[in-house]
Amino acid sequence: MIPYRKKTLDNGLEVVVNRDRQSKMAAVNLLYRVGARNESPERTGFAHLFEHLMFRGTHRHPDFDRPVQMASGDNNAFTNNDYTDFYITLPRDRVATALELESDRMTDLAITPGKLAAEKRVVVEEFRQRYLNQPYGDQTMLLRALAYRKHPYRWATIGLTPDHIEAATLPEVEAFYRRHYRPSNAVLSISADLDEERMLAMAEEWFAPVPDRPAAAEPIPAEPPQTEARRQEVERDVPATTVTVAFRMGRRTDPSFQAADLVSDLLAGGDSGRLHRRLVKQRRLFASVNAYVTGDLDPGLFVATGQLLPTTTVDEAEEALWGELLSLADGQASDYELEKVKNKFEANTLFGELNVMNKAMNLGFYCMAGDLELVNRETALYRAVDHDAIARFCRETFRPEQSSTLIYRAAR
Amino acid sequence: MKTTDSNPSPTTTLDVTAAERRRLPNGVALYLLHADEFEVLRVSFVFRAGSVHQQVPFSASATANLLAEGTRDLTAAEVAERLDYYGSWYDVSIDRDYVYISFAMLSRFAAETLAVAEQVLLRPLFPEEEVAAYCAERRQRLAIERRKVDVEAREAFARALFGPEHPYGIAADEAAYERLTRDDVAAFYERHYTAPNCFVVCSGRIDPAAEEAVAAIAAQLPGGPCTEEISRPDVAEPQVAAGAFAGADTATAAEGSPFAGADTRPFPAPATQHEARVAHPGAVQSSIRIGRLLFPRRHPDFAGMQVVAAALGGYFGSRLMQNLRERNGYTYGVVAAMVNFERAGYLAVAAQVGTEVTGAALAEIYAEIERLRTELLPDEELALVKRIMEGEMMRILDGPFGIADVTIENLLCGTDNGAIDRNLALIRATTPEDVRRLARKYLAREDLVTVVAGDSLS
Repeated sequence: MIPYRKKTLDNGLEVVVNRDRQSKMAAVNLLYRVGARNESPERTGFAHLFEHLMFRGTHRHPDFDRPVQMASGDNNAFTNNDYTDFYITLPRDRVATALELESDRMTDLAITPGKLAAEKRVVVEEFRQRYLNQPYGDQTMLLRALAYRKHPYRWATIGLTPDHIEAATLPEVEAFYRRHYRPSNAVLSISADLDEERMLAMAEEWFAPVPDRPAAAEPIPAEPPQTEARRQEVERDVPATTVTVAFRMGRRTDPSFQAADLVSDLLAGGDSGRLHRRLVKQRRLFASVNAYVTGDLDPGLFVATGQLLPTTTVDEAEEALWGELLSLADGQASDYELEKVKNKFEANTLFGELNVMNKAMNLGFYCMAGDLELVNRETALYRAVDHDAIARFCRETFRPEQSSTLIYRAAR
Repeated sequence: MKTTDSNPSPTTTLDVTAAERRRLPNGVALYLLHADEFEVLRVSFVFRAGSVHQQVPFSASATANLLAEGTRDLTAAEVAERLDYYGSWYDVSIDRDYVYISFAMLSRFAAETLAVAEQVLLRPLFPEEEVAAYCAERRQRLAIERRKVDVEAREAFARALFGPEHPYGIAADEAAYERLTRDDVAAFYERHYTAPNCFVVCSGRIDPAAEEAVAAIAAQLPGGPCTEEISRPDVAEPQVAAGAFAGADTATAAEGSPFAGADTRPFPAPATQHEARVAHPGAVQSSIRIGRLLFPRRHPDFAGMQVVAAALGGYFGSRLMQNLRERNGYTYGVVAAMVNFERAGYLAVAAQVGTEVTGAALAEIYAEIERLRTELLPDEELALVKRIMEGEMMRILDGPFGIADVTIENLLCGTDNGAIDRNLALIRATTPEDVRRLARKYLAREDLVTVVAGDSLS
C-alpha cells in the first residue's frame, strides 16, 4: 500500500506525493510521456538520445550532475518504448535541490552542436556495447522486427541503426524538446518522510512558473491484426541456440493483464515455474528458459524463450515450449500453483515498497498509464484472477497465427 | 530567480545501529539488526567457503549453488515450490573468499521459510543427476560469458595481478566442469560448511520465534578442527587508522573476526605481470583494465585510496568520465574503484571503448592518473568527491537489507558498524595533499598493470 496525494498544477503537470515514514532519503521522479513509440522511422533511437542530452546542462546549471552530487544525491534516467524517466535520490532535506534542477531543465536546456556531437558518439558506443558487441545482443531487435510491422514497437529503444543517431540534427533536437518536454506531458512524483502538503507546495513553488507549450498528440500507427504464423532463423557466432516465441497480446491497462502476468509467472516465476521444472530439470532440454509480458501502453507481447542444450533439436524445443503453453490453455494449473504465483506477487509488492525510489517510480508509472489508483488495487486484481481467466487468456493468446518464432542458431 | 542552497552542509554522522551479538554453544555468532518498522526479514549465513578454498576447480561455487537442489526431506522441486509459495527469496552469492546464503521473507512467513533454510543449509544431498545437470548448464553459460570482451579482460586482469596459479588469479577452463563429481562437492561441503567457518546476520522484523529458529539452524552446524588466531602476515597493521579508532563506541559486537575458527591456509605471494593482451577478432569494442595490486580494507591508506579512485573514476562526472565519455566520446562508461579481498586489495580502472580508439583511450587514462600525481585536486572537486562518497553510503544504508550488507562487510573486515562513521571521518579528513601523496606513492606508471581484450590492436 502506497498512500499518496495527487494534484494537477495549472500548467498541466501532474504531481503525486507519498509520505514514507522510514527513510532518511527522498526520491524525486520526473516522467515524460515520450518514448521510442513517438519516433519517426527515419530517426529511431531519438527519444533515448534526447534523454542523454537532458544531462548536458542548462544556462543556469551548465553541469546537471554537480549540484545533485554536492547534495550527496544520485541521479539517472532510462528510456523505454513508452516513456522517459528521470530520477534523483538524495537526503530528504535536499528535495528542493532536485525540484529546482528538474524544473530548470524542463525549460532552459542549452544544447550546442558540440554537446550534441559528443553525446551522439556516447550513444553509438552504447549501441555497440549493449547490442552489437554482446552474444545475443541483437536478439530482441530481431524479435521486435518480426512481431510488429507498422507500430513503432518494431524497433528497440536504442534504435534501428547507429546511422539514425549519427544523423540527428540540432533543429530536430530543439523541436523534440519543445514538443515533448513540457509540464502537461509530465508526471512528477516524490516519496520522502516529509509532510504531503509541504511536498505539494514545493512542487507548486518550483513548477508552477514553468509555462506549458500545448501540442496535439501525433497519432501512432496501429499494428494491423496478425493472421499467419511468422518465422525467422538467423545464425550467429554464439555457443548455444535459442528459440523464442512471441504472441500478440493486449495493453498494460487491459483487464486481462493480471491474468497474462500470472501465466508468465506460472511458466517462469522462480525455480518452481513450469518451464524450469519440466523443461530444464525434468526433461533436460534447455539450459535456461523464461517467459514474460512486455506490459506496454499499446498492445504488447507475451514472450516464451529458451536456450537449448547441445543435444536438443530446434523442433524438440519448439514442441516442448508449445506443449507447456497449451497445457495451461487446457486448464491444468492447480489451485496450489495459482495461489503460489499470487502470493509471490503480493510479497514482491511488499519488498518493492521498502524503498523510496521504487515507490516514487511506481506512482509515476501508474499515473502515466492513466490509472493511478491501480497502484494500490493491483494486488486485489491479481487475487481475483481465477482458473477460467488463466485458461481463457492462454486459449486466446497462444495461437499459431498470432505467433512470431525466432530461431537464433549457434554457428557450427 | 531564486535557487536552492548550492553548498549544503555535510551530514554529521550516519549513526548506524550496532548489531546485537549472540554466541551459540558451537561458537557461531548470530548478529541481530532489529528494524520492527518493516514487515520483512532477511537472514544471511556467511561461510568461509569461497573459491580460494577449493582444490578442485568449480567445487566451491558448485557446492553453494547446489545446496537447494535436493535435501534429505525435500526434493529440489519441493524446495523451490515452498520458497515460491511463501514469496520468499533465496539468494546465493560467492566471491573468492566467502559464500553468502540469504533468505528474504515476509516476517509472517519466517517459520515456513526457515524450515526450508534448515534443509538447504544442513541437509543437502547433492544428487548425482543434479550435479551433472548443473555442470552442463554452467559450462554452457561460462562459454557464453567468455565471449564477452569484458569478461575476458576481467579474468586476464586477475591473472596479471596475482599470477595464473594464484588462488585470486586462477580461472579454470570450462572443460573442468566435465571432471567435477558429486563427491568433490560433498567433500567441499563437509569441510567448509562448519560452525568455525560461519556467522549469521538477521535484519528487519525479527520475532523471538524467528530468532530461535535461526539459532536452532546455526547451532546444528558441526565443529571443525581450527581454533587458532587468524594470522595476517601479509598486511601491515592499521597504524594511522588506530588514531581514528580511539573514540570508537565499544558497546558493540566487534572484536576481531566474526568467525569462531581461524583460517590457517598458507597464502602464496602474488606474481604480477604488467601487460597482457587477449585477442578477440571481430570485436567492435575493446575492454580495458588498468590498475595495480595494493592492500585490503584494513590498511591505513585504504580510505585515502578510495578517495583517489573516486576522483579518478568513481562517479558520473569523474575525471575519467569527463575525459573519455564527455569530451572524447570513446566510451559509454568508465569506472575506477578499490576492490577488497580478505587477503589482498587492488585498484582497477575499467572501460569498454571503440576498437579504433583503444590506444587513445589508454593514453588518456594514463594521463589522468599522472595528473593526480602532479597537480593538486582543487578544493571544490575534493569536496564534491567527499559528498558523493557520503551519499553513496547513505543510499546503501537505506533499508534493512542494505544495512545487513554493510554489517557483513564490516564484520568480515574485523570491525563493527562504528567503522562506517570512522571511515567517513577519514574520508572527510583527506586533503588535496593526501590525494597527491597517495597517487605518487601508489600509482607510478611503471607500477600499473594494463590488460586489453579486443580486436587486433595496433
